[in-house]
Amino acid sequence: MNNEPASDRFVDPTPTDWNSAEMQARIRKRYASERRFKFLGLTAVVASAAFLAFLLLVMLGNGIGGFSQTRIALPIDFETAPIGLDPDLIRSGSGEAALAGADFRGLVDYAATEAYGPGADAWFSGGAWEIVRARIAADPDILLGKATFDLPAASDIDVANKGDGGAVSERAVADLERRGVISKSFNSAFLTGGDATDPALAGIWGALKGSLLTMAVTLALAFPIGVLASLYLEEYAPQNRWTDIIEVSINNLAAVPSIIFGLLALAVFINFFGMPTSSPLVGGLTLALMTMPVIVIAGRNAIKSVPPSIRDAALGVGASRVQVVFHHVLPLALPGILTGTIIGMARALGETAPLLLIGMRAFIADPPAGLSDAATVLPMQIFLWSDEVDKGFVEKTSAAIIVLLVVLLTMNALAVYFRNRFEKRW
Amino acid sequence: MFKKFALVAVSALALAGCNDQAGSSGASRDVISAVGSSTVYPFATVVGERFASATGMKTPKIESTGTGGGMERFCAGVGAAHPDIANASRRMKKSEFDKCVANGVKDIVEIQVGIDGIAVGESIDGPKFALTPQDLYKALAAEVEGKPNTAKTWQDVNPALPAVAISVYGPPSTSGTYDAFKELILLKGCEADPKMKAMKDADKDAFEKNCTTLRGAPYYVEQGENDNLMIGKLAKNPNSVGIFGYSYLEENLSKVRGITLGGVAPEYDAIASGKYPGARPLFIYVKKAHIGVIPGIKEYVTEFLKGAADGGYLKEKGLIVSPADVTAKANAAANGMTTLDGAELK
Repeated sequence: MNNEPASDRFVDPTPTDWNSAEMQARIRKRYASERRFKFLGLTAVVASAAFLAFLLLVMLGNGIGGFSQTRIALPIDFETAPIGLDPDLIRSGSGEAALAGADFRGLVDYAATEAYGPGADAWFSGGAWEIVRARIAADPDILLGKATFDLPAASDIDVANKGDGGAVSERAVADLERRGVISKSFNSAFLTGGDATDPALAGIWGALKGSLLTMAVTLALAFPIGVLASLYLEEYAPQNRWTDIIEVSINNLAAVPSIIFGLLALAVFINFFGMPTSSPLVGGLTLALMTMPVIVIAGRNAIKSVPPSIRDAALGVGASRVQVVFHHVLPLALPGILTGTIIGMARALGETAPLLLIGMRAFIADPPAGLSDAATVLPMQIFLWSDEVDKGFVEKTSAAIIVLLVVLLTMNALAVYFRNRFEKRW
Repeated sequence: MFKKFALVAVSALALAGCNDQAGSSGASRDVISAVGSSTVYPFATVVGERFASATGMKTPKIESTGTGGGMERFCAGVGAAHPDIANASRRMKKSEFDKCVANGVKDIVEIQVGIDGIAVGESIDGPKFALTPQDLYKALAAEVEGKPNTAKTWQDVNPALPAVAISVYGPPSTSGTYDAFKELILLKGCEADPKMKAMKDADKDAFEKNCTTLRGAPYYVEQGENDNLMIGKLAKNPNSVGIFGYSYLEENLSKVRGITLGGVAPEYDAIASGKYPGARPLFIYVKKAHIGVIPGIKEYVTEFLKGAADGGYLKEKGLIVSPADVTAKANAAANGMTTLDGAELK
C-alpha cells in the first residue's frame, strides 16, 4: 500500500466518463464477447449431448429386437412321427443313449413339413430340436400323443417378422400369421446362453461372465497394488532421483497404447509362465497392468489433496504413521481413489486390443466355469458378432452393446454410491 | 472397518495368487483348441457345435487369428498349451512346416475340407461390370510395364469398360483373402501380359513384386477384416468394386451382385469346378501327437468331413464342396491319420 502514490502520479486524474460513446462501445464489446463465449460453451454441451443421444437411440433402435425372439408353434404327432422312442425306454438305464441316438433334427424337419408344407423345415432354427429333446427328456409321456412345441424361428424368418427380410421370408411370415402360429416373446436364452453360430440361439451370458471374471481379477490386483503404491509414494518415499524416475515411469505407463500390454502378456504370462490362453486369469492380469498406473496417478492426487493439518493433528495427538495413514489419510482420499479406479476399470471393460493377442478372439460356446477356463469378453463378442455373415447377428451385435453399456452404467453407479458414502466434508 | 477392508484386499490378492499357481499347472485340457483362418472360422464353429451336441463333450475353442498367425501358434510346440488344430485358407508353407518340425511338431495331418471363392462384386445399382483378371491387374498395380500406373477410369484400362473412376474395396494385407486375391487373380492377370510373362521366366521374385504391389487410395482401399462393412460401403457407392469372401456375396444378394471374371460369374458351380478364377482350398491341419491326449479330436475331424461332404450342412453356410477325388483323399487322410510329407510343400 505504501508504494501506491508512486504510480498514481501518472494516472489521469479526471474521472472516467462511463457514458462517452467510446466507453459505451467498449462495454458493448465486452458483453458481446461474453455472450459469444457462453453461446460457444452451450453449443459444445449440446453437440456432445446430441452425439450421445444419437448413439443411444440408434443402439436401442437396432438392438431392442435382439432381446425378443420369433417363435413358431409346431404340432408334433408322435404316433406317426418317425422316431423310435417310448417313455419306458427313456426312463430305463439306457435312456441317455437312446436320446443321444435319436434323430430329433429329422423329427423337427418332418413335423414342420407335415404341418406347414414342403420347405417349412427351413423356417425353424437349426437348434430347435434341442428344445424338443429337452422337453421329451423332462416329460417322456408326451411321446404317447400329440404335443405342440413353441420353437425358435430361423434367423431369416426372425428378421422378416421384425420387418426387414427378403421376399421369400416375408411370404412365409405372412402365411404363418394367417395361421396364427407365429409369436414374438422375450428371448431369455439371449441373457442365459453362450455363443452359438445360430443367431436364434446365441447368448451373451458367456461373454458377460467372462467379462465379470476378468474384471474381478483386474480389480483384485490393480486396486490394492495401486492404492498401496500411491500411499507409499506419497507418505513414505523420500524425495530423490529414484522416486522421480518411478513417477515418470508410472505416468508414461498410463499413456502406453493398450496393445503393447497384450504383447507383454503374451510373452510373459502365456509363453514364460505357461498360463492357459484365452482365460479370464490372463485377461485380468493383462488389464490389471494397464489399469494400475491410472489408479496410482488418481490415488496420489487424492492423497496429496488431503490437508496436511489433518496429518499434523493426528501426529500431534500421538498417532503412529500407520495410524495416520489408515485412520485419516486413506478414508479422506478414498473418494478420489475410487473415481480413478472406476475410470481405469471402465477403460478395461471396453478393451479389446490386448485381449486379441492372448487368444480371446475366439468362439467359446460354454460359459467359463472358472478363472482358467477359456472365455471371451463383451467387447470381443461384439466384435466377433459384427463380422458374422448371418443377418440375424446385426441386431444381436447392437443388443450386446446395450448389455455392455448397462454393465458399465451399473459399475459407475456402484462407484458413485461408494464414493458418496465415504465422502467427508470439513 | 479399515481392518476389514485391508483383510478383504489381502485375501483377494491371495486368491489371485492361488489362481496363478492353479493356472500355470494346466498340463492337460479337455477342450479342443483350434486357431487360424477367419475364413474357416464360421465353418469350424458350426462343426464345433454339432460335435458337442453329438458327443456331449465340451464345445471346441476356435480362435480366429488369420492363417499366418494360426500357423505360428500351431507350430510353437506339442502340449496342452498349444493348439491341436490349425485352420488355413491356403496350404501350409514349407517354411511353416520346417518351423513346426524344429519345435517338435513332426506329425501333421493335412485335410482339405472344401473350397472358398473370392468374389468380386458390385452394388446391385452398379454399372454391371464385366472384368477380366487382367483388367483388375492393370487398374490396381502400382506400376504397369515399368511405368507408374496412370489409369483413372476403367475405360483407361480397357476401352470396352465404362468411364467410371477406379475404386476397389479390398481386404488388408494381413488377411488370407488378400493373399488369395494376389495369387489367384492379380498374378493371373499379370501373366496374361507377354512382357510380364517373360519377366516371370527370368526373375520370378521381381515378377511377383511387380504384379502384386498395389496402388493406394482412392484406387485400392483397404477395408479391414470386416466384410459386412464392405457390403455397406458398396451399397452406398454403386460405382465401386469390392473383393470379399463368396459366402458374403451369397448372403447379401439383395445388396450386391457378383462381377464376371473373364465371362464366368462367381457362382457355386463355377467355383467348385475351378472355372471361376477366384477359388482357393481350405484346410485343417491336425497335430497327430495330440490325438488320444486331448479327447475328441478324431470325432471332431470326422464331424468336419461329414459337414463338408456333398449335401452336408456346411454347404448352407457357404462352403463349396471339394471335387470327389479331393474329398476321397481327405477322408483317407482322416481315417488313417496319414501325416504330411514336408517335401510336398512349397
